[in-house]
Amino acid sequence: MQSAPLPETLANLLGLDPNSTAVMIVLSLVGAGLIGTLMMTNTALAGPWAKRKITAAFTDRIAVDRIGPYGLFIIVADAVRLLSKELIVPEGADRPAWDLAPLIIASTALLGFAVIPMGNGIHLADPEVGLAYVFAVASTTSIGLVMAGYASNNKYSFLGGLRAVAQNLAYEIPLILTGASVVIFAGSLQMSEIVAAQQQSLIGPLPSWYAFVNPFAFVLFMIANLAEVGRNPFDIPEAPTEIVAGYQTEYSSVYFVLIYLGEFIHIFLGGAIIATIFLGGPAGPVLPGIVWFLIKIWGVFLFTQWARSAVPRVRIDQLIEIGWKGMLVLSLANLLLTAVIVGVTV
Amino acid sequence: MSLEKPSRDTALDVGVTEDGLDYDALADLLGGHILDREEHLNAEGFVIRPDEVQEVLSTLKEEAGFDHCACVTAQEYDDRYESIYHLRKYNDPTQELSIVVPSPKDNPHNESAARVYDTADWHEREAYDLVGIDYDDHPDLRRILLPETWQGHPLSQDYNQDQPQIVSLREHANPLEDDKRSEDDPDTMFVNIGPHHPATHGVLHVETVLDGEQIADLEPDIGYLHRCEEQMCQQGTYRHQIMPYPDRWDYISAGILNEWAYARAAEDLADIEVPEYAQVIRTMAAEMCRIASHELALATFALDVFGDFTAVFQYGIRDREIVQNLLEDLTGQRLMFNYLRLGGVAWDLPEPREEYFEKIRDFLDDLPHKLEEIHDLVTGNEIFQMRCVDTGVLSPEQVKQYGATGPVARGSGVDYDIRRDDPYGYYDELDWNVVTEQGGDNFSRVLVRLREVEESARIIEQCVDLLEQWPEDDREIQANVPRTLRPDPDKEIYRSVEGAKGELGIYIRSDGTDKPARFKIRSPCFSNLQTLPEMSQGEYIPDMIASLGSLDIVLGEVDR
Repeated sequence: MQSAPLPETLANLLGLDPNSTAVMIVLSLVGAGLIGTLMMTNTALAGPWAKRKITAAFTDRIAVDRIGPYGLFIIVADAVRLLSKELIVPEGADRPAWDLAPLIIASTALLGFAVIPMGNGIHLADPEVGLAYVFAVASTTSIGLVMAGYASNNKYSFLGGLRAVAQNLAYEIPLILTGASVVIFAGSLQMSEIVAAQQQSLIGPLPSWYAFVNPFAFVLFMIANLAEVGRNPFDIPEAPTEIVAGYQTEYSSVYFVLIYLGEFIHIFLGGAIIATIFLGGPAGPVLPGIVWFLIKIWGVFLFTQWARSAVPRVRIDQLIEIGWKGMLVLSLANLLLTAVIVGVTV
Repeated sequence: MSLEKPSRDTALDVGVTEDGLDYDALADLLGGHILDREEHLNAEGFVIRPDEVQEVLSTLKEEAGFDHCACVTAQEYDDRYESIYHLRKYNDPTQELSIVVPSPKDNPHNESAARVYDTADWHEREAYDLVGIDYDDHPDLRRILLPETWQGHPLSQDYNQDQPQIVSLREHANPLEDDKRSEDDPDTMFVNIGPHHPATHGVLHVETVLDGEQIADLEPDIGYLHRCEEQMCQQGTYRHQIMPYPDRWDYISAGILNEWAYARAAEDLADIEVPEYAQVIRTMAAEMCRIASHELALATFALDVFGDFTAVFQYGIRDREIVQNLLEDLTGQRLMFNYLRLGGVAWDLPEPREEYFEKIRDFLDDLPHKLEEIHDLVTGNEIFQMRCVDTGVLSPEQVKQYGATGPVARGSGVDYDIRRDDPYGYYDELDWNVVTEQGGDNFSRVLVRLREVEESARIIEQCVDLLEQWPEDDREIQANVPRTLRPDPDKEIYRSVEGAKGELGIYIRSDGTDKPARFKIRSPCFSNLQTLPEMSQGEYIPDMIASLGSLDIVLGEVDR
């Protein structure tokens, strides 16, 4: 599965010199563009179309089916609709923080994909600290949420921003601790190493994906991930029936699109991390790696939509309690246990 | 829990006899306070001095057991103003008493009852707002339905309808500016929840002071959907023109229940006997409305707790849709039925009857399975229980103080259901139970509604059996009612039915014409909504939203 990162592959493909810095910079940008476009395409499919179809399936409805096959062209219609709306700037908004927030929310999530191995050589960079980098950039989204919250000059936004930070603080630590337990297994933070470590067989045809090796950590990570991306039962930063739309209350038009886009990319990034460290990355039989990888992240997306349709929302104090008293303790226990097991067996 | 009436506290039974209240005994209890005694159709009215209201009412409440101030009706006569306090008992609402308080024409004011019954607070504010009576010693006498800047009192006789009303936005400029509550305490924040907010179920404005995420103070501000329903009813003729209006009070599928409230009051006023066959049809249709209404209440409550238009909401709507179709087959309408007539119903069951009965039976057969599904998805869910158990708690005492009725009262263990306690229609001939829960929290109120759906299904099933076997030559759907109905002058009546949200009462005073002289609606949502501050103070915003959802208010009925 080990393959050279994307810029080198591109250089070889185009017959350029992989040792020239200028060539590599240009090709890195090209590669980043390709991966960014791939993920945004997925988001475009997920946001206006798949989300509607999935929710409709959960609730005995049909959803969009008028424009194009299976209503797919609603994506185009929605893009035109959303981009042509008036951008309303609230009085007293703190600019440029108010303008920067959507950009930060959308871009930070996108940055994380740089180190994710997607199979078939689609892997922009493979630094040794890959996993730490992903968590780091994913966490910076919180800054965007706070900025959006306070800069909107709206009390609902303010409450939503505060909720978002409290929630991200409470759930990122268990998330990272659980991720660290995988690092103990794999013995590396490098994404390609983590993927490679999951390729042996565990029992018979069952691969040694960490979801099978340590299902407990997998479950913890899935739950913490739900909180991280703010989906039921942890969608309290937005909580439409309580605080209207939280930090995104005052955003309209393009800014709204950016925030929404950021949220969906974040869900996909969460899916990508889960796929990489628990589900063997792009590994899978018959189909090419990139297809398996996309299937896995869409699987995680489906899970978040399922939770959204069927599970009630917890209250803010209950959320914090679950985070600090439950998840944190469990993830620490998981980390210790993993360390002990790995220490004894290796 | 059953059709057996709860046992009575005998110590408070002044004047209770086998065949109704002995008003002489009550009069003895009040002694010299009574100036005069009037005969109302539902109860006797004791006329008292305007400055002795509190004394009389607390005596009646504490010594005679009148713990339910159902309604306060205010009206203006040619020579005086008058407030009527309709008192009843929670353990037997057939024991009624009206306290009539006249006040002078030139300076109408009388003592407030809000210190005795908390529910009188809003009722008297409404009386002040619409009729113009001042209530002394009222804790907070402001306008309630109309804007603060309104000039005049629309239901008083000298009200000038042509006077332009200027509702300046300036008056509502920035609620923070004159918000003393948050100035005193720099740690609190004032938030307007509504009138446009996803969780207010219409145009309700909740002025909220937050301490962090917790509710420090809260006040519902109503009146955004005030459509002068009482006045419109006063301008319509009894026979035909009033009946369409009740559909528009609780407009989300409880139409027939509302129509029945008017039908019951007006039929008793004009002494009309409804044929039994029509009563069975009414009972069946009313219970269908109750199912539709409770399904929607569950759906919107789930919407508040789950967050989005999710599965539970859609399931609730899906099940309600079937009832809606049945009602459409029966009445020709889906929401604004206008199906009841004074003395009967508009038309017989749809032909072919067998097909219609088949449809109803199909629905009833599927219902247990669907409720099971809802229980699996909603009430069985641990997170849902975490959210709803022990939040928004309302004690039985608070229920009675605020005059809360319907599922809200029964969720707090107050065994009060007009259908059983003050029977009308065909209810006392059928076998069904009154559902109560003891918790008093949001969860109990949801459970009560879900189990009431089962009971309503039982009632419908029995009605279908009856209608199926009804002899063909005896299907009388309408009594003989004169084309123009003119009840005798100066008759007064307060009659209530068990609406979807609770006790829906109508007070009518006739003046010998074909239109009522005073038409007062006692809306259950209006009284129930008053409990919101009690339930939510000190709780988190999400719990307040859940409590609001569990009250199941319809602003059309609150504001009228």
